[in-house]
Amino acid sequence: MTLLGPDRILTPLQEALRGSEADEADIHVHRRRSAITRYSHSSIHQNAVSDETRATVRAIVGRAVGVVSTNSLAVGDLRRALADAAALARASRPDDGWPGVADPEPFGSPQAFDEATGRADAAAQSGHIARVVARVPRTMRAAGTHQIELFEDAVANTRGVAAYAPATMAYLRALVLGETSGSGYAEDLAWRADTLDPEGVAERASGKASLDGDRMRLEPGEYEAVFEELAVAEILRIMSITGLGGEQVREGRSFMSGRTGEKVTGERFTLSDDALDPRTVAIPFDVEGTPKRTVPLVERGIARGPVYDRGSAKAAGARSTGHAADRSRYAPGGHAANLTMAGATATREELIGAVSRGILITRFHYTNTPDPRAATMTGTTRDGTFLIEDGKITRALANVRYTMSALDLFAGIELLGPQRLARDWWSSNGMGSIVCLVPPMKVARATITGSSPL
Amino acid sequence: MTITSSPLTDLVHVASLRGASYADARRVEREHEVVSVKDGAVESVTRTSDRGIGCRVLHEGAWGFAATDRTDEAALHGLIDEAFRRARASASVQRRKVTLAPIAPQRGEYRTKPARDPFSVPLAERIDHLREVDAKSVGPNIKTRRSSVAAYRTQKRLVTSEGTDVAQEIVETGAGLSVLAVKAGRKPASRYDSRLVRQAGWEYVEHLDLVARAQRYRDDAEATLDAPLAVERPTTLVFAPEFLALLVHESCGHPTEADRLLEHEVAFAGTTFMWPKDRGKLRYGSPHVSMTADATVPGGMGTFGWDDDGVPAMRTKLIDKGIFVGYLTSRETAGALGVPVAIGSARAEGWQHFPIVRMVNVSLDPGTTPYADLLRGVDSGLLLEAPASYSLDEKRQNFHFSTQSARVIRGGQLEGYVRGVAFQSLTPDFWGRCDGVADDWELHGFLSCAKGEPLQLMRVGHGAAHARFRDVPIEARE
Repeated sequence: MTLLGPDRILTPLQEALRGSEADEADIHVHRRRSAITRYSHSSIHQNAVSDETRATVRAIVGRAVGVVSTNSLAVGDLRRALADAAALARASRPDDGWPGVADPEPFGSPQAFDEATGRADAAAQSGHIARVVARVPRTMRAAGTHQIELFEDAVANTRGVAAYAPATMAYLRALVLGETSGSGYAEDLAWRADTLDPEGVAERASGKASLDGDRMRLEPGEYEAVFEELAVAEILRIMSITGLGGEQVREGRSFMSGRTGEKVTGERFTLSDDALDPRTVAIPFDVEGTPKRTVPLVERGIARGPVYDRGSAKAAGARSTGHAADRSRYAPGGHAANLTMAGATATREELIGAVSRGILITRFHYTNTPDPRAATMTGTTRDGTFLIEDGKITRALANVRYTMSALDLFAGIELLGPQRLARDWWSSNGMGSIVCLVPPMKVARATITGSSPL
Repeated sequence: MTITSSPLTDLVHVASLRGASYADARRVEREHEVVSVKDGAVESVTRTSDRGIGCRVLHEGAWGFAATDRTDEAALHGLIDEAFRRARASASVQRRKVTLAPIAPQRGEYRTKPARDPFSVPLAERIDHLREVDAKSVGPNIKTRRSSVAAYRTQKRLVTSEGTDVAQEIVETGAGLSVLAVKAGRKPASRYDSRLVRQAGWEYVEHLDLVARAQRYRDDAEATLDAPLAVERPTTLVFAPEFLALLVHESCGHPTEADRLLEHEVAFAGTTFMWPKDRGKLRYGSPHVSMTADATVPGGMGTFGWDDDGVPAMRTKLIDKGIFVGYLTSRETAGALGVPVAIGSARAEGWQHFPIVRMVNVSLDPGTTPYADLLRGVDSGLLLEAPASYSLDEKRQNFHFSTQSARVIRGGQLEGYVRGVAFQSLTPDFWGRCDGVADDWELHGFLSCAKGEPLQLMRVGHGAAHARFRDVPIEARE
């Protein structure tokens, strides 16, 4: 796929909108080339590329809304989609909460785009994997993914919004398994492919795999813990999907409901949604065409408020923060997808060195939330769970089940390391779409509720 | 190459001429309509459609796959070029070549036969029905009510270099219901179902009786809000089929996917605890527990004419009287394991996806005991009706489930509710505690089983009956 650019995308949208019979309308376009090379047993087993376009059209007639999506950008097809959406709206019922389509506003320049990354081909991807495989010890085998995404988003509406931005994403992960040991995992995520470090990823994953032998089972209980970046990203995801959207707060489902301005966790925890940070992967406007704003969510443990789309903002008497999400994946109400958690300067050695007896968690698998209002997460660890004693890693552990409220966990933050770009397990394959700038942390207390077999 | 009126055949022909040892081309068109109502008002009316072509080549023993939603000649030429570039790149980092288990060429058509096409039901009728349902969800503490109906149509054609040419049209209809009860000083209580979906027409929505279901969900949520906290202890649990459908999915369907053996999913979805050496030996559950994969179940969300390898629909046993006996396979995984294809389970969500091993309809086989008799055998226990949160480890061995609704069983009778019930267990230990499966088998459907990279959301079916499990340690959490 080659980028169409602003004119070639926005012109047909504007042309189609000019002829719309609806009272209001908007169109969001997402074009994407997704190239994924997967490997296991140090051998590529799947190598796929797809080019796709999705145009989502909303037409509003008398405050009733119809939505139609198509994968064509031809003016005739867009006009047909607008007419169909208007017909759906006419057959529907008015939405008293309809906030109207967005007004034009300036938005920040796209920052997460690298032309060379967008041009990366199959050979470049397999080359990175070959470098991972070459660096893994002969007694071990590697598996994982190399992914390049090139995408461009555009929004146009009948009030004159005309927004366009391209972006790229590069991702490399390695899970290394030993013949006589367990597994280790590492990954790099960026919007520039030339910043991926295949040898570094291989060495980090291999290092952990080599430590993962002679596992012991940990008794359930409360332990000091070091959470690496991927593990913290998983906790942040649970906070996002359970409590950071305006509609969740309004409905009483969020940990913030009725508690804005109150202390909800420890002073060392500060979280914002910041799609404008040049390190993250983001488009600077949302699917409604509203510019994304930086939103303080929790400051030094005090709840500051959620993110909003236009509908939830109207219901709350607030202003949209530019957090309308893809309607095919998320319920309306605001979605915080570019989380930035404040970090500090502690090194990995300092984090581990601060633990008397506790655990190190690399990442989680298949987490969920048994108590959304408390932002409680349960999930098992994987690919690098270790016992720390007297400031040193002393044993490999069988994977453990962790179950705890994020607010209780973050109340116990004692040390923070520097931020790194990372995604939770769900977002790493596209089930979610959250990207985090997140530090590793040492906490006073993590609740372990069970252990997998050895 | 000049693209003719049969681009799939052309693509496969050209790929063969260029040296592919196997090639296939798959065209998929999908459409989808959803109407949803929230708190009495229409929340959204959405119609989605997409179409495109995916082309898979096996060259130098390695796969390449390319897909596009453009159908012009240049795009289709580019598709073949890109698929070969991908295959060559795969071959450059490869230690074992792909071999496909053989199947005979297939030809034919498969179509769902809905009694009433869900797309033909007037929008006003759908909205009016949902508003009636919504009205029955109103309760003193019900803060949010949502309901929806959905219609799906998928048309696809698969042509392979081995002579297969099959066309399918699948129509599915579903509904969703949810209520959230909120009361000061109490933990909010949700009751919902997003798994009411069937390969069928509008008649399935009528069969569901959403109005009665909405009343039941409202009553469950209101009662759970005020219910006492459960007591943590080993407890006899009876599971409703709706709950067991998910347990079967997570703890049997996933670990029997054969691509997990090849570590194709190790970095993301994980592996399994059910290895080839365990086949025929591993005690997975009690003798009451048998599970079957069946792509022929009428109305199943995992029912089709052929999978995306072109393998015709089959059925096979996965668990037989508690013993692990079978896998879900694709031609590639069966080839790698050196076994015949026992069931074709290679499925792709859409034209843009590479087919991988997925569930079809994976079900707990029914028992012979009437449900009432099963309940009568419980002096003190709980009926768990629907799952809430669920989480599993990467081998599908260590799991944690919580429930939306837990009803107290005393002396074989249902009486009242408790809240906060969850349980964690190891798969063989859990299924080993099953001491009875009822005869009231029913089919459930899931729309979005997540697996693969890029993510593929697959439709799968699961049948189950009420079943009883003894001495399951439960957790009770506020």
